[in-house]
Amino acid sequence: MQLFSLSYAQQITLTGIVTSSDGETLPGVNVFIEGTTKGTITDFDGNYELSVNSGDKVIFSFIGFKKEEIVVRNQKVQDVVMAPDINALEEVVAVGYGQTKRITSTGSVSAIQARELQTVPTANVQNALYGKMPGFFTQQRSGQPGRDASDFFIRGASSLNDAGNQPLIIVDDVQYSFDQLSQINVNEIESISILKDASTTAVYGIKGANGVLVIRTRRGKEGKPQVNLRVESGLQMPVRKPKFLNSYQTAMLVNEAYANDGLQPQFSQEDLDLFQSGTDPYGHPDVNWYDEIFKDVAFQQNANVDFSGGSERLKYFISGGAFSQNGLVRDFNDPLNEVNTNYFYRRFNYRTNLDFQVTESTSLRLDITSRFGNINEPRGQNVTGEIYDFSKIHPYSAPVINPNGTYAYAVDTEEKLPTINARIANGGYNRIRRTDSNILFSANQKLNFLLDGLEVSGRLAYSSIEENQRQVFRGSFPTYHYDPDNDLYTIDPRQNYAYGEYAVLGSQNRFTRDLNIQGFMNYTQTFNMDHNVNLGLIYNRQSRETKSNVPENFEGYTAKLNYNFKDKYLFDFNAAYNGTDRFAKENRFGFFPAVGVGYSISEEPFFKGMFYNVQLLKIRASYGLVGSDVAFGNRYLYKQVYNSGFGYIFGEDNNTSYQTIYEGNLGNDNVTWEKARKFNVGIDANLFDKLSVTVDYFYDYRFDQLVTQQDVPDILGIGISPSNIGETENQGFDGQISYQTKIGSDFHFNTSFVFSYAKNKVLFKAEAEQAYPWLQETGRPIGQPFGYTFLGFYSEDDIARNNDSNPDNDVAAPVSDVPIQAGDLKYMDLNEDGVIDNFDRGPIGKPNLPNTTLGWSLGGYFKGFTVNVLFQGSFNYSFSVVGTGIEPFKSQFQPIHLDRWTPETAETASFPRLTSNPTTVNSSSAFMSDFWLVDAWYIRLKTVDLGYQIPQRILPFNINKARLYVNAYNLLTLTSYDKYQQDPEISTNTAGDAYMNQRVVNLGVQITF
Amino acid sequence: MRKMKFNKYILLLSLALTGAVFTGCQEDYEAVPLEQFTEDFVFSNTDSLGVQAKRYLNAVYYFLPNGHNRVWADYLDAATDDAVSSAITENDVTRLARGQYTAQSTLGSEMNWGRYYQGIRMATTFINNIDVVPLMETFNDGQPLNSAWKSEARFVRAYLYFQLVKRFGGVPLLGDEAPTLEDDLELPRNSVEECVDFIVTELDDIRDSLRIMPISDLNSNGHVVTREAAMALKSRVLLYAASPLFNGGNIDRANPLTGYPSADPIRWKDAADAAKYFIDSYSFFDLLPEYKDIFITSANSEIIFHRQGGNNREIETRNGPVGFIGVNLGDGRTSPSQNLVDAFPMKNGKAISDPTSGYDPANMYVNRDPRLKATILHNGATWLTEVLETFDGGVNNPTGSVQKTKTSYYLRKFMGNFENENEYSDTRHDWIMFRYAEILLNYAEAQNEFAGPSPEIYQVLIDIRNRAGIEPGDDGLYGLKAGMTKEEMRAAIHNERRIEFAFEEHRYYDLRRWKEAETVMNQPIRGLQIVKSGNNFNFREIVVFEPSFDQRQYLYPIPYDEVVKNRNMIQNPGWEL
Repeated sequence: MQLFSLSYAQQITLTGIVTSSDGETLPGVNVFIEGTTKGTITDFDGNYELSVNSGDKVIFSFIGFKKEEIVVRNQKVQDVVMAPDINALEEVVAVGYGQTKRITSTGSVSAIQARELQTVPTANVQNALYGKMPGFFTQQRSGQPGRDASDFFIRGASSLNDAGNQPLIIVDDVQYSFDQLSQINVNEIESISILKDASTTAVYGIKGANGVLVIRTRRGKEGKPQVNLRVESGLQMPVRKPKFLNSYQTAMLVNEAYANDGLQPQFSQEDLDLFQSGTDPYGHPDVNWYDEIFKDVAFQQNANVDFSGGSERLKYFISGGAFSQNGLVRDFNDPLNEVNTNYFYRRFNYRTNLDFQVTESTSLRLDITSRFGNINEPRGQNVTGEIYDFSKIHPYSAPVINPNGTYAYAVDTEEKLPTINARIANGGYNRIRRTDSNILFSANQKLNFLLDGLEVSGRLAYSSIEENQRQVFRGSFPTYHYDPDNDLYTIDPRQNYAYGEYAVLGSQNRFTRDLNIQGFMNYTQTFNMDHNVNLGLIYNRQSRETKSNVPENFEGYTAKLNYNFKDKYLFDFNAAYNGTDRFAKENRFGFFPAVGVGYSISEEPFFKGMFYNVQLLKIRASYGLVGSDVAFGNRYLYKQVYNSGFGYIFGEDNNTSYQTIYEGNLGNDNVTWEKARKFNVGIDANLFDKLSVTVDYFYDYRFDQLVTQQDVPDILGIGISPSNIGETENQGFDGQISYQTKIGSDFHFNTSFVFSYAKNKVLFKAEAEQAYPWLQETGRPIGQPFGYTFLGFYSEDDIARNNDSNPDNDVAAPVSDVPIQAGDLKYMDLNEDGVIDNFDRGPIGKPNLPNTTLGWSLGGYFKGFTVNVLFQGSFNYSFSVVGTGIEPFKSQFQPIHLDRWTPETAETASFPRLTSNPTTVNSSSAFMSDFWLVDAWYIRLKTVDLGYQIPQRILPFNINKARLYVNAYNLLTLTSYDKYQQDPEISTNTAGDAYMNQRVVNLGVQITF
Repeated sequence: MRKMKFNKYILLLSLALTGAVFTGCQEDYEAVPLEQFTEDFVFSNTDSLGVQAKRYLNAVYYFLPNGHNRVWADYLDAATDDAVSSAITENDVTRLARGQYTAQSTLGSEMNWGRYYQGIRMATTFINNIDVVPLMETFNDGQPLNSAWKSEARFVRAYLYFQLVKRFGGVPLLGDEAPTLEDDLELPRNSVEECVDFIVTELDDIRDSLRIMPISDLNSNGHVVTREAAMALKSRVLLYAASPLFNGGNIDRANPLTGYPSADPIRWKDAADAAKYFIDSYSFFDLLPEYKDIFITSANSEIIFHRQGGNNREIETRNGPVGFIGVNLGDGRTSPSQNLVDAFPMKNGKAISDPTSGYDPANMYVNRDPRLKATILHNGATWLTEVLETFDGGVNNPTGSVQKTKTSYYLRKFMGNFENENEYSDTRHDWIMFRYAEILLNYAEAQNEFAGPSPEIYQVLIDIRNRAGIEPGDDGLYGLKAGMTKEEMRAAIHNERRIEFAFEEHRYYDLRRWKEAETVMNQPIRGLQIVKSGNNFNFREIVVFEPSFDQRQYLYPIPYDEVVKNRNMIQNPGWEL
């Protein structure tokens, strides 16, 4: 009867479930009544029960989440959704061989929790990191299933060696390779950090100079078993589709180019009319090969299931996943052989992470994971490249299929290859099958009986990679040219009348075993309540065997000392003494120390009093030395090795060839690792409980870089090994500004802006002194492109001036077999000698790697609905497309070619006159210039994620959570150029015909019970 | 207590295990893979057969050029007035013939400075290390083979230096040490005189430690360097040294890098003596009776030194006429010029410009020096049992923008005798670096320059022409004018070299050392346009190529980078920036 009473101070038993805004139930949340000591914590399923009086204010708090408050009216059930606190001070962040908190860290670390990555529908972790972490630069070079992992760099590039800029990748304290990383199932990941400065990377010593990507995998937590199931299915579409001109347009342009070259037209007016009318589909075909070969969409599927939980003694996390991504090529399978020659990628992952608490002070850990992957591709052809390549096929070369059902061949090309669809159907496939296994065993012993806070552990990690490939191919099959006028079929010139048999080529591509032994000693203690000390000593030894080669060994010691006083004065000292056997004995080991200091002024009592809205204000700085042992070429650079060369025919015996041996590159006894001195200063601030700011400035001086001296005269008569002489600097800033708030009682909103800027410069690279300052690479960014400076098109007046008898009024022109004509690209004569030659090739544009990258995310949560949107942009870079990607007669004719220079369009043209001669000044391969190099930026709507969490109350069975979501990747792209139809992330100076980058729209459901 | 003990055991055990693993790893593998060769392995003091050292020596030999289609698939002679390349895109021989190269953009196929120094280094390394190897084999009555091998490497080194000198003038001489990075690599160029002296001294020095012709075991040592090869090179080097380009006609008289500071006729005598010494001392050699077989017969009596080219159809495939099918399909890469065709005399030995020669422009291939037919294929000639059609639109000269003859001629020389064969078959294609006819003509040229015409000189030309199949004539002079002046004789010898050695990489450098390039290479290169009407052919001379030559082209530019990297490196005249 009391229920009817409305008296205040009424005793109510309040119950409910606490979940995170992405639907996880939260065990262990503190629930208490404000101003009292009355409280409880949530159970394994996030349930709580608390006696309250109406009018009480109940506080929910949990590390890593924003506090929630509710005021009790008369409700009995109160579910609470807690939003992750993106500014959490206490949240731990993985760093090398340990972890740190944002509040006490002196180094430069960006971290991200896996829940922010799971919403990105991509196969690779690195593709999911775009725009989310300050200091992280990415470029996705290809969209091919299984080969679409982005290149990434931490704080840009600072090594002159291409391979020397790859960050170290550490998964659960064990080194992974780039390709191993791209196979990891995102579902297995707990958190990702990137370590950017010396203070955080010095523990890796000789491997730390390029920054470190640290991944922690998920582990079981005490609690009842939890099953998490995620199934999703998506559609892939190219971000950009190439457009090609049709037969009529192509034929017109071919005729025009021939006329420009003084050649007879290839096509008569009758041909042109037939192309235009399309009434002769076999005699005058008009095929858009892109449309014929590629589909509009391809499917991808992803399924994950994981089990986790455990008791005090044993905790487990077990996960399995399957990922499948199909290729965009149409199905050309011959029904008889059912061979799948399309691109595809299939991957299966499993992971078991176990923790045993053997005794109170002894714990064991066993992690086992394997990844099985298959990559399939049509054998021996890059299909996109084939379609672009004008020498292989024209829109009017052949019909897709002859009227009698036979395959056609490109009758009007030099190679007379079968049409692309015929080759895909019959050419077989190349399937790469790979198994990766990792086992990690570790034992940890607390030695409190010796010294309180001391523990030791040993770890054994084993990984193996095995990759083999099966290539199936058919050497020959019949193709015919059909002549509709006479109804005649002509066999191709190779005279393949019969279908050849399929042959198999098998090979073992990789076989690697990697054994890693680590020993740790760690001491953590707090003295007098205020002095927090952490001391770690680590021994690490790694041995990698690859196929039949001699193993590569790495060995080292690491020491870490962290000290802080009241979380206020922070001091870190990290050092490593380590080395690899790729250098000579006396040059193997190096010492890499770094210090970090920090001052959290917000911990000062006076400050707290003055600025109560400032939760954190910390300045920090670090300085230290780290190394990089990556070098190109022969591993034994310190040795001169003699090599076997071509055979030499000796004596009068016909064709008896004798082996030759020749001297290899001179060894460099002193070859050793590259070094970087890194300075970093940063500020961390949390304001108003809503805003968090982190900004870092860095300056890296990279020296002793292994580069091949270019100033050695050729009279030496032999190649030389690289020596440690290159110097570069790299500086910039990066950071993140995050804001989160709650609007009304139910709408959580957060937004975050991430920015990264890194600008490098070559200080020294032993370059030969150049004739003109603009030829020097020293002093410019790494990877600076060089070429001619585009001025416009040669006008008819220019040509007339060059042909008159007065040499004084000549316009600068290259010396070439093909005289300059009006409409050719005109370049600046930098040295003003009247001739366009190599001396006029100055720096143009920017390096291919963007030096600025931005990310802006917006997220909201409202009553079970979530929305997350990420915009990502890269700026300040250049790229060019050459050869079959753009040049007429190498490439298919493209819409840009319609804007070519002609005498009539001289004023408005955006492309040089057409010519069939591949060596003119208009060729980007022969005369690279800033006409071809576009100054690029792009902004992408990188990911969109919409989800709905079905209220738990209405879920049947024991289902804890059910979430439906739709997400998208690369949804919109805005670019700065219109010269090329390629994706903005292509590699520069290529044909840009890599498999198109994909846009993905994905639908999924996640169920937890 | 019990628990603690257990923990200690675990700790001890794991420490012991870890220790065991570490110590176990240490000595399992070598520091550097054993499969990688080192100098000690190649030059081994236990390798009494010299197996590895021989392989290294083979690599030294590898630096000797094979001139067939050497310059970007063209013959170097396609950069002279003798031919043009049939290629339809720009290529290195057209650039050479037009002087389209600079210090910054040198033409790697012909002026690869660094490659010669690679060979020189290889040879030097061999010379310095071969004595370690205790070779059992002996030669020339019991000398250990080491000295022969060493001398062979010295020959190759001298040959490569000569390649440099004829292209660049004086070049840095590195002596007998293979340089390292610690050495001063900013070496200045030596003068032409020093270079020539070095080469000649080396050749004299090795003469008696080389094997001699005839080689007894042809199958295994068929074209090793012999003393005769060394003396043939000496003859050529001295001939070049005596020639105007270096001996008085230097493009920069005061610059010893471009030639001798003053002209001295005695250098002609040295050249003549060297050739005469060869002729008198080495009676093994003789002119092969059939001219066109010199190039396709292994180890014939005329070959002094060659590089084996193997048994194949390569020359035919690359240079044979287009328009055939199957194995007979040729790429027609080389288009000999009308200029060359006109240089061949009549069968009676008289130049076609001589009104008494009997030359008929309407039947220009009739009654000509038989070497013409052995050198070029013309319209109407028989090849592979077919009558060649090089008229416009003919089978072997189709219309359209494809690679085919530009002059109506195709190359015949070096090919097997396929006139009456149905298809190409494997033929021996050696590249002959020195043959006896050259020594004879070297002698004739040097002797004439030094002392004027003499019966001996006449005899050389008569021997050459006799072998070629020219008729002796009533006066027995094979068409030669009696009582020629020195200048007339010079012209006769120059022309004889041109036609005898066509496409053998002589004319390109002969034109330079004679300093005739500035005249010859500024005149158009001609071909024939043949139009068939009915059964008749109308011939029209056309210009197929306009070469261009100026003084600085007598020597190539030193690659720009080399000048930049080496402060003591002086660029050749005219090529400075």
